[in-house]
Amino acid sequence: MKKKKILALFLSAAMVTSVLTGCGVQTTEEAGETEETTAVEETTEPAEIAGEGTETIDVLIYAQEHEKVVYEDLVAKFTEEHKDTIKEVNFEVTTQEEYATKMMAAITANDLPDIFYVGPEAVRSYVDNGYVLPLDDLVDAEAVDNLWPAISSAYKYDGSTIGQGSLYCLPKDLSCFAFAYNKDLFDEAGLEYPDPENPYTYDEFIEVCKALTKDTDGDGEIDQWGVANANAFGFTPYVYSNGGRLLNEDYTKVQVAENEKFKEAFQFYADLTVKEKVTPTVEQDTALGGYQRWLDGQIGFYACGTWDVAAFMDDATFPYEWDLCGWPVGPSGDGRSTTWLGTVGFAVSSTSENPELCAELIKSLSTDLDGQKALCGETTGKSLQLPNIMDYAQSTFKEKVADGTIPYASNVDVIFGYVEGNDKYNGIFGETTYTYNSEWWDIFLEGMPNVLTGKISVDDYCNEVQPKMQKALDNAIELQNAATN
Amino acid sequence: MGRKKRVKEKMSAMAKREERWAWLFIAAPFIGFLIFMAYPICFALFASMTKWTGMNALADNFCGFENYIAIFTDEKFWKSLGTTIIYMIGIPIGMILGLLLAMGMNRKIPGVRVLRTMYYVPVVSSLVAVSILWMWVYNYDYGLFNSIIKAVTGLHGPNWLGDEILVKVAMIIFMTWKGLGTSIILYLAGLQNIPRDYYEAAAIDGANGWEKFKNITLPLVSPVSFYILITSLIGGFQVFVEVQVMTTSGGTNYSAATIVYYLYDKAFSNGQLGYGCAIAVLLAIIIFIITAINFVGQDKWVKTMD
Repeated sequence: MKKKKILALFLSAAMVTSVLTGCGVQTTEEAGETEETTAVEETTEPAEIAGEGTETIDVLIYAQEHEKVVYEDLVAKFTEEHKDTIKEVNFEVTTQEEYATKMMAAITANDLPDIFYVGPEAVRSYVDNGYVLPLDDLVDAEAVDNLWPAISSAYKYDGSTIGQGSLYCLPKDLSCFAFAYNKDLFDEAGLEYPDPENPYTYDEFIEVCKALTKDTDGDGEIDQWGVANANAFGFTPYVYSNGGRLLNEDYTKVQVAENEKFKEAFQFYADLTVKEKVTPTVEQDTALGGYQRWLDGQIGFYACGTWDVAAFMDDATFPYEWDLCGWPVGPSGDGRSTTWLGTVGFAVSSTSENPELCAELIKSLSTDLDGQKALCGETTGKSLQLPNIMDYAQSTFKEKVADGTIPYASNVDVIFGYVEGNDKYNGIFGETTYTYNSEWWDIFLEGMPNVLTGKISVDDYCNEVQPKMQKALDNAIELQNAATN
Repeated sequence: MGRKKRVKEKMSAMAKREERWAWLFIAAPFIGFLIFMAYPICFALFASMTKWTGMNALADNFCGFENYIAIFTDEKFWKSLGTTIIYMIGIPIGMILGLLLAMGMNRKIPGVRVLRTMYYVPVVSSLVAVSILWMWVYNYDYGLFNSIIKAVTGLHGPNWLGDEILVKVAMIIFMTWKGLGTSIILYLAGLQNIPRDYYEAAAIDGANGWEKFKNITLPLVSPVSFYILITSLIGGFQVFVEVQVMTTSGGTNYSAATIVYYLYDKAFSNGQLGYGCAIAVLLAIIIFIITAINFVGQDKWVKTMD
């Protein structure tokens, strides 16, 4: 009898775990983990899109399923328009994780596709090793002039400085990591909504977060929090909004131990968890990530990348009212709420036999109006990115958001503020965009949980980790030099 | 020698043709070895002496033993090597449990086949799948372990995968569980090879169960133990997937990262392929030395039936 009882206990325990595993599949994904996290689909055979000509173009990119459909349509349209010259376009879409490996194999085998993605952090390596073509003579100026200014600073390079010289990529997108709040929780707590014109100060933010942190079911345990932060993505906006930086201006020195603005922001960030207790604890965060808790309506403020909008607007995923706002602004910065921008671009291989044709194709992928309408949600109802065409974004896109054609948070100006920059908002490319690898930053992140559990103070941690980060950064600089000869 | 020559002279045209074919058949695996083993090994050896990034030209960035020298002062290398060795605590535990369970299952008890299958299921299951499953077993709020702890003691259990020390314990438990099926099957085969009359003779001499185990079973399964030890040690140095799946970037302060995880991190996350190759070469040397020591030491404890 006793044996049976034990057996029953184990069986039920096993069942409970399998049930939990069932929901676990959705929770492993963190918001903003990568720009296109949802690209989980298996790599498919490249789609062959055929014409009647003689030229073949190979394309290799990574994309979400929704994006893939849009790009395949664009490629088909392009092939139709150029069917006298094009024999076929091999359009291969992979996952973001696999992409780097595939490119490395292609480089080693000296068999580059004609068109592929290059991120701003890789522009130097690709250009210095002669893998990509400058686009200045291949793409007409009109198309380039209509791109966001941040794009040219990411993809121009003159052999020594990023931001000057020839243009090497046309953007697939320009994204930013904005902040969002759950309106329903504000209503419940009787709080005023954040003012998109005036992002919170640190003190205001803590007050609001405290009001949002509570035990809703009365079991004595906190089950709703003011904010949840993902260290890897949601920490630097606090730092940048306080005027802090991780590295010095030429990205050669780690300054986490000396930069008072950085440490002030870090202290604030740690206090949210350790002192004010307005975020889930580190332990709770490992049990269920902030992204999942936000979707479950347990969190007041959470990060929202431009790529998250479609998911947050979908009632099945996020059945709450929400809107955009600015990251809280620290006392020591320039008073602007500052976050990081992201982008990846289409480049043309230097080994391509049809550079003109390829340039035409990437121009269409990057700036074709129909394609952009689909990607930003005007024709599809799912906003996956901000339109690359600046004119269109500032006029029609905004109007369509306002009249509800494009499901979007109404404070869309927050996004525009971050992307364009104004006296309240600013967007910058994170420091890892300018270093050969991000190992120095990974080292910082690895020990961060110990700060957020209060095991080590912010000061001690910064002092301890700085030399290790510097060593990794020196290494990265050395590799950058080795990578470019 | 002379005789051989004569045979060769007598070879008919057909025999010669056959000989050519023979060479062709030998060539297939040999060429395979050259392309898929010898070339990559030589390549890795050379690459380990360069600042190869995957993008730049190998030969232009030759740096001699610089990578190896850097590794010796590389804190993370030693840390991950240490963690890898700590994980090996699971090997003797797994062997003891495996032998005990195999002895249990070596008897005629009802349902023994079901039990054997159950213990073997983890071995045939996908490592990624069971790692995800165990992530949930170890989950801080909803995990099986912490649910039991809460039910029994009323206290909240620890953060298994987030704590720098507990994550190692968690990994060892997981790896032991995962490997148990293999040891059981191997030990079962070993046990069934021991002739019954040894035990009968011992019983006539008045030996008790413990004495039979100590003097017959243990020595006669020692070749199996040796085999399990060697393969587990080699496998233990190559642990990667569990860490990749169950922890976020190698755990708090890199506390769960193994040497292969570090290698991967360096080579593929941080674009230091030359450095990664150097770690791989050192790892190969370490495995070779450990295996050699084992083979030399086996005379002391591995007994055969003859």
